[in-house]
Amino acid sequence: MTSKFTISRRDFLATTAAVTAMAGVSMPKFAFGADKVVKIGFLAPLTGEVSAWGKPGLDGCKIWADWVNADGGVKIGDEAYKVEFVAYDDEYDPSKARTGAVKLIKEDDVKFVMMLGGDPWPGAAPIADKEEMLFSTLLPSDLSPETELLVAPCEVHPIYNVTGVEWLAENKPELKTAVVCAQDDSLGKPSVATYLAAFEAAGIEVLDEPIFFDPATTDFAPLMSKMLALKPDIICLDTCYADYVHPLVEQAFQQGFKGQMISCTADFYEKLVEKTSKEFMEGFIFQFPDFDDPAMNAEHVNFNKPNDFYNEYVKRYGKGEWSAVSWEYASIMDLWADAAGRAGTTEPVKVLEAMKVGGTGRQAFGEAKWWGKELFGIDNALVGEWPVVAIKDGKAKIQDFKSIPAWWDKHSDLMIKHMKALNQMYYQRG
Amino acid sequence: MHKPDSHSVNLAAAFGFVLLAGVLVVLPHLLSFSQQEVLVLLVINVLLVCSYRLLTLTGEWSLAHAVIMGVGAYTSALVAKKLSVPVPLAMLAGASMAGFLAFLLSFPLFRMKGFYFLIASFAAGEVIRLSWKWSDLTFLFGGPKGIKRIPSFPDFLSIDFYEPVNYYYLCLIVVTISLLILYRVEKSRIGLTFHAIHWQDKLAESVGVNTFRYRTLAFVFSAFFAGLAGALYAHYVGAIAPNRFSVEEMVYILIWAIVGGTATFYGPIIGVVVLTIVNEIVLRSLGVEEMRPMFYGALLIIAILFLPDGLESLVPKIKRLFGKRDKESNGSLASPQIAE
Repeated sequence: MTSKFTISRRDFLATTAAVTAMAGVSMPKFAFGADKVVKIGFLAPLTGEVSAWGKPGLDGCKIWADWVNADGGVKIGDEAYKVEFVAYDDEYDPSKARTGAVKLIKEDDVKFVMMLGGDPWPGAAPIADKEEMLFSTLLPSDLSPETELLVAPCEVHPIYNVTGVEWLAENKPELKTAVVCAQDDSLGKPSVATYLAAFEAAGIEVLDEPIFFDPATTDFAPLMSKMLALKPDIICLDTCYADYVHPLVEQAFQQGFKGQMISCTADFYEKLVEKTSKEFMEGFIFQFPDFDDPAMNAEHVNFNKPNDFYNEYVKRYGKGEWSAVSWEYASIMDLWADAAGRAGTTEPVKVLEAMKVGGTGRQAFGEAKWWGKELFGIDNALVGEWPVVAIKDGKAKIQDFKSIPAWWDKHSDLMIKHMKALNQMYYQRG
Repeated sequence: MHKPDSHSVNLAAAFGFVLLAGVLVVLPHLLSFSQQEVLVLLVINVLLVCSYRLLTLTGEWSLAHAVIMGVGAYTSALVAKKLSVPVPLAMLAGASMAGFLAFLLSFPLFRMKGFYFLIASFAAGEVIRLSWKWSDLTFLFGGPKGIKRIPSFPDFLSIDFYEPVNYYYLCLIVVTISLLILYRVEKSRIGLTFHAIHWQDKLAESVGVNTFRYRTLAFVFSAFFAGLAGALYAHYVGAIAPNRFSVEEMVYILIWAIVGGTATFYGPIIGVVVLTIVNEIVLRSLGVEEMRPMFYGALLIIAILFLPDGLESLVPKIKRLFGKRDKESNGSLASPQIAE
């Protein structure tokens, strides 16, 4: 038997292209240059409906890294390290989070992984345990006695929501009734429990049961009609995603609501002002300031050059892109860099020990303490002061900084009662 | 015209299967750690989409298949975690529960056909999915946060199934057996009846075929294997939540089936393999994380525009291409002989 091997030009080009593509896919990327680099993993939703709490955070981290690297990097031990972020889109899915955690730790050799948390965390948790990697979450409700290498060093969602209600009770005592709605998921439930506790502590009556709507909801007119039928002084939008806050606020406007609104976030609020009016949005309370706010220059604020950070963010990504999480992951990096510097190593367990020395830490809005045993079963949440923000003349303005631990000392029983009622205590979850 | 004898066809098929088996065994060792993770989920999704195809053989497209997968996942997780039943048995319980639920659902659902069946299956699926979130049942299903710390597949002869390569081999065995069963069902008299119901249901009824019973059978079979896929998923990832089995996931199953094609057994497999590689390996490697949906969407549109019969329609074209080349090369070899 004879055979004849021939290859045409087309075959050659096709084969070469395929091999090149495969090589690009499977080969590691080579970095040139002699700088020492420490890699940080960013494992959060960058696409999908929860991406508003992931992608702006990555954008903020890029600014943080540029600034730090321009200053010579992070000093760890006797060496200065440039910081490089490696991102993986977990699509808010536990299996993608597992794959992402494996890639970041075992292939990219990151020394710390930042997550949004929530549904994806249980997928990454076994990897964190097995690889002894330090992870951070923005959602302390991920914390439990088993999660020793998971910290919530910036956002203490949903506990800080009590500060907005407390401020309302002090400054607008005429408001006596409220209705609450939230999407029925792992963000909505604990947040509703927190608002219920805060309203009860403030002597504000919650009319009817909180309304939990399905995350697939797109038509919010009936929901808002139901809430307005109760004639509340306050509409509480809990911790709804931006995709829900916007249509809910629009519906409240269109259906003629004249009262007070309060929400955990008001991401992209300029668009809300455009869709409704300055008058309608006047006094809307939420928990996340613009960092160009003069109040951010207060002495107790630990975030590095907040006004410049905000201006740079707006310059790079546009004014309407600033959101609740734009600064949070960067703030966590401040804490990590400080701890790694003091520990003299990037080794995760040592960095965690350095973070928690003395039981306190420098949170973005001031000195805070490692806390959470009663609520989460572990003291891995950094809790201190948190700002209360109101929209004034179409612009977010910090009204006050209020202490979460001070509220907790007075009303912890209420919080635990409502968390238990909604099965949100750490020993009740899954 | 020259017709290849059956012996050489069988030999070629056997060679093809041995080659495929060799590739599947070696494959994980050629991949990176994260690609091994993707591979495990890909194999599970192959079972999911093939089980879906069995239902489509009768002409009905359900929107409850992701939820049915969830039934298998939830049942298996609960049976293993709360009742401490060994995981392999819990998996079978999960698959059986999915099949049983499909049997119950078939009574209301198969009173409808076509579009009405599609919408009703979506509604039925949502009722089940929302029950997992219901506050009063949180003690059981874990509410919106779902169930976590699900027991993993136990070590066997010191093989650690937490390792993706080992779990991949386990899934490969389970999925291969399942696909063989699905294939045999499709090629059996029952499978032919499914086809008949799809194309000529009135005619089939006129010759005594109980179409309701056969549709139910397809639905139950399909659900059993979807439930098994769900159980494999749950014990690997270790966490499940209601949103994991939402309509968004259902859309992925539909895309895999439509882009791959459902005319052949291998069509959906090509769909899920190609689209997973594109989405999870190629686009991620290109570092276009935030723009992946855009690229993925564009690829889908291109595939639908230029391959309306799915990727499976490329296979005969490729075969013809190679056949033509063989002929040409045979011809060039033969010509000197003719000259002689």
